[in-house]
Amino acid sequence: MQIVIVGLGGQGILFSSKVLGDIAIKRGVNIIGSEVHGMAQRGGSVISHVKIGDYKSPLVIKEDADILLAFDQDEGVRNMDYLKRGGSALINVYKPERMENENLKRYIQEKDIKLYTIKGYDILKEHMGGNFLFLNVLLLGAMAKLGITDISYDELKESIKRLTPPKYVEHNLKALELGYNAM
Amino acid sequence: MGERRFLLGNEAIARGIVEAGCEVASAYPGTPSSEILPAIAKFADELNTKTVVEWGVNEKVSFEVAAVASFAGKRSVAVMKQVGLNVAADPLMSVAHFDIKGGFLVVVADDPGPYSSQTEQDSRFMAMFAKIPCFDPSSAKEAKEMVFDAFDLSEKFMIPVMLRPTGRVCHSRQDVEVKEPIGIKRPADFEKDWRRWVCLPAHVRINHPKLNRKRKEICNYFETLDKYNYEVPAKSGKALLGIIASGVSFSVVMDLIEKNNWDDIAVLKIGTPHPLPIKLVQNFIDKHERVLILEETYPVIEMQIHDRTKVMGRWNGFVPEAGELLPEKIESIVKKALGKAEETETKDHLLDAIKDLNITPKKPVLCPGCPHRASFFAIKKASPRSVVPSDIGCYTLGVNQGAVDIVICMGGAVTAGSGLFNAYKVDGKEIPVVSTIGDSTFFHMGIPGLVSAVYNKHAFVLAILDNLTTAMTGNQPTPETGYKLRKNDVGRQISLESVVKGCGVNFVKVVDAYDVSSGIEAIKEASEYAAKNQLPAVVIFRHPCMLIKDRDKIVRYPVSVNQQKCTGCRYCITSFFCPGLVFDEDKKKAYIDERFCVGCGVCEIVCPVKAIEVERG
Repeated sequence: MQIVIVGLGGQGILFSSKVLGDIAIKRGVNIIGSEVHGMAQRGGSVISHVKIGDYKSPLVIKEDADILLAFDQDEGVRNMDYLKRGGSALINVYKPERMENENLKRYIQEKDIKLYTIKGYDILKEHMGGNFLFLNVLLLGAMAKLGITDISYDELKESIKRLTPPKYVEHNLKALELGYNAM
Repeated sequence: MGERRFLLGNEAIARGIVEAGCEVASAYPGTPSSEILPAIAKFADELNTKTVVEWGVNEKVSFEVAAVASFAGKRSVAVMKQVGLNVAADPLMSVAHFDIKGGFLVVVADDPGPYSSQTEQDSRFMAMFAKIPCFDPSSAKEAKEMVFDAFDLSEKFMIPVMLRPTGRVCHSRQDVEVKEPIGIKRPADFEKDWRRWVCLPAHVRINHPKLNRKRKEICNYFETLDKYNYEVPAKSGKALLGIIASGVSFSVVMDLIEKNNWDDIAVLKIGTPHPLPIKLVQNFIDKHERVLILEETYPVIEMQIHDRTKVMGRWNGFVPEAGELLPEKIESIVKKALGKAEETETKDHLLDAIKDLNITPKKPVLCPGCPHRASFFAIKKASPRSVVPSDIGCYTLGVNQGAVDIVICMGGAVTAGSGLFNAYKVDGKEIPVVSTIGDSTFFHMGIPGLVSAVYNKHAFVLAILDNLTTAMTGNQPTPETGYKLRKNDVGRQISLESVVKGCGVNFVKVVDAYDVSSGIEAIKEASEYAAKNQLPAVVIFRHPCMLIKDRDKIVRYPVSVNQQKCTGCRYCITSFFCPGLVFDEDKKKAYIDERFCVGCGVCEIVCPVKAIEVERG
């Protein structure tokens, strides 16, 4: 299974790939991936690749990914060509009207892409005092509910507990649940 | 099988270093190498080893500290990025000639792309230049394994050894097996021997031919090192194309062969590009009608091949001479080599959508609340006509505010002030200059330039943007902080002001970077001082980086743009360039993007018509 996670620097993308890696380790399967550090992290476009299974290279090849997780909707659109035919995209939308673009809809239809959207910012504003740092875990929760991977809610919960600093565990689990219930 | 962990490539390398019994580790941070040293400290704490783990003030310092620890018999490592090795090139070239004692590993991380560097130079060429052996890992797992062999090789041939991962290895994550340290004992024992440890020209005349002999012997050793240099035969049994590949390019090619069912391709993997196991390579070339070479970033393997007539590579334009070899690029190169036509594009509608929606890759930008943004605003406001050279760090992103005119390399902001001063002095003219440099970069290489500027009486202003950390590379501590890496290890704090004064600077003023009015005043005063006294003047803009502040303790003021007052002039956008302050193209007004605004309130002073309102309660 190949997952591409995209967004902007500072949105907590690295934590999401860490969680997926932790789950693979627990399951005893091979995992390899790639992330971005340094200058590119400063608010710019960020992409993280996660490949579970017997792969050698850390990079997903375009039109080969099973799943695209987009923390930012424009980044999601820009990187949709990573998805293979029939792949699934979960996109955090901020300006939903932009997703109605005709050319975009045609591409999604032609490639048989299953598109799911979540209004992450609205949810976090309503339930978590507008703390957008929890967007990453929120999206993971939504992903679990959609069943687009075989990763279960409980696996995510256990892994997030293991990887989160103690003072944020409660918040992260709440965000996970919010994401799960939003779909 | 032992315990498996999901490690960053840099952590895998660090784990290998601790397991291999390395006892002295020194580094200067630089993407993509920065996570290695902190991980060495973390594993050393976990495994309870006595390893000394320290940030050097620059790469030359780190290289020499580690090299001489090896002279005393310890296994040691120096870690840096590719441009860091330029700084450490002096000791590298010299130490290569020595018969070193403890294993000495130089880890140099390259940045094809580049993603976070001023060059995408290939450090394997530096290994070749110094005539030392080099390992080129294709994955995190292999990088860890190579650490052990590199230390053994270093001790066997008494020569420094380079491990050259690229960013894709450093910042890949992979399940990696971890073990206990091998438990070697190498008590420090420096044996005095001036013939061995003093690089007199007379000794070089003996040592250089010896280095050449070592290189030959190591080359022979690499011919048989089939752990890292091996052939993967074509699945069909008959190869139409041979590919010689090293580093991540090898991994990518193997995944592409699997994906596309390319059964007619044989691959020769090279893990030791210098000295190249030439017999192995020549034999592979002889066996195949067509041979393609894939390596990053320069043609290091390619140029060591004597007869390249059959070879498709960079010499004949088959492989691009710049940039990262991304999977898509490699796929198209291999298809071309196989004589397959490119498939026609099927993603026209997506490209149209991206065009319709005007989506471009987001460029890096200073974080919301970054003190540098405020400092740049103050500098531009105080001295709008100045030339503003800057340096390597987050603050290079001051280009977004039109506040950066020149950046060369670490420390180059200070000497740029001198260069401009002298160029105009020849014509009997003066040019106002305000150079900016970060705290860590000032310690790294700013000091020599400042001493030189004082001594030679160069009039310009140097603004040190002191955010009390090395931010760009992941917030490593600077000598100002007293923080060290090993548990319970504390450093002696060094005052930046004292260092500046010690360089001979008499005008030193410290301001809080968030206090823009004081910043403007200080730059004006410093400029007057510099012009009047024909000497450099220093202003220190101090405020902690957003990323080291305690998130729970940050004071957040509600900020809004008064839509009635806003004239849509965009001054706040161009001069302040904050992700939290954006322009609505439909309404032609600025507004606060609550997703990114951190409520620092600094932008209040920016608006010429006072439309930005901050509730300071």
